[in-house]
Amino acid sequence: MTEGTATIRTRKFMSNRLLNRKQMVVDVIHPGQASIAKTVIREKLAKMYKAPADTIFVFGFKTAFGGGKTTGFGLIYDTLDFAKKFEPKYRLARHGLYERPKTTRKQRKERKNRMKKVRGTKKTKVGAAAAKKV
Amino acid sequence: MVQAGEDAEAVCQQDLPQALKLLFEMNESADKVSSLVDSMLSQVKRGELATEEGLSFLEVKYHTLLSYLINLSHVVLRKVSGASIYNEPCIDRLVELRTVLERLRPIDKRLKYQIDKLVKTAVTGESSDASSFRANPDNMVSKLDEDADVNEDEDAATEKKSVYVPPKLAPVRYDWDESAASRQEKLLERAKRRALSSAMVRELREEFLDAPTELGSRVDSGAGPSGPSKEDRERQEYEETYFTRLPETKDKRKKRKLPTIGSLANELTNFESDFRVLEGEVMPTKKRKSSKKPTGKKGKKGFKKRKSR
Repeated sequence: MTEGTATIRTRKFMSNRLLNRKQMVVDVIHPGQASIAKTVIREKLAKMYKAPADTIFVFGFKTAFGGGKTTGFGLIYDTLDFAKKFEPKYRLARHGLYERPKTTRKQRKERKNRMKKVRGTKKTKVGAAAAKKV
Repeated sequence: MVQAGEDAEAVCQQDLPQALKLLFEMNESADKVSSLVDSMLSQVKRGELATEEGLSFLEVKYHTLLSYLINLSHVVLRKVSGASIYNEPCIDRLVELRTVLERLRPIDKRLKYQIDKLVKTAVTGESSDASSFRANPDNMVSKLDEDADVNEDEDAATEKKSVYVPPKLAPVRYDWDESAASRQEKLLERAKRRALSSAMVRELREEFLDAPTELGSRVDSGAGPSGPSKEDRERQEYEETYFTRLPETKDKRKKRKLPTIGSLANELTNFESDFRVLEGEVMPTKKRKSSKKPTGKKGKKGFKKRKSR
């Protein structure tokens, strides 16, 4: 219920020049509350490190048994371009920067098997034509 | 740099008369050598030098080496002064001398023993007895076989005792000559430390000391009385260094769901030994895993039951 009474501390701060980012372990202390949302943590980190919130990615939050303390990881990229280059797709998808192709695994495999029956440039036609089939 | 140039000039000035003298000497010796060679050639032509048996092997060897060196220095001189060595006769001579040396090598190897012996006698000045050059059978026994002979004698002695020594296959703890008493002492110390931090003692401490009560601040990462176990600590360190979360193992999940399963009863009942160890009355006993239950119909116990009938 009480908002904003969580404390964020960072440990093991390292500036990783190879991946153009700063990485750290984030400790969130929130006695008597449920664990804090990742968006709130991102905003707090943005204030602490004076970086735009969209270049901050946090993940891996685990609450200690008994509550009160949560530990996770945080990465702050230099620019959004670097973030798009180095971050795994699922984390970009969490921020809305990436959309997974909607085709299911089964459909992809069926399309591939249909393409196997044809040789050359007809492959693309087969795939599209068969997909349009109901 | 200008100073160095000046110094070089001064040195040159000093060395100049010496260099001139040396060059003059060289000229003189070259003249002498050429006159000697001419006289030798004339001698050979007249047949005064005995060349019927040819040259001995060793003489051939060092003559070829010398000529090789002379030709090589000539090639180097030409290269250093910038001239080309294309179609130089000295290159052909070098090749010829090289092949001669290569042919000499295996013969040299075969003669090695005799030559070494001769050199040794020449150096030590020992007997010129021809029989001293015979083969030495003692040299044929290799030094390694001596140790094998010694071991065989020892094994023959121990065989009489016929004590079976098992092969050392698996690694075993090494005590560095620790006496039994010191080992007992160490065990006692460890048991005391464990007793001091046991649940019973902690509760007593809370009751009787004036320190403020600590609520469960470290409950999961601090699972045991002295903080997280070694395994937990290692996992934490790994996760924080590599920025990953390791998946939860089966036992960990069970422990999370039912934290006191299997351990609560033991905690409640095994508190006597702790106090006794602290007072020094009882020696610490080894932790023994509880014996397994009878394994049903097909287990050993079942089989025994049937047999006893």
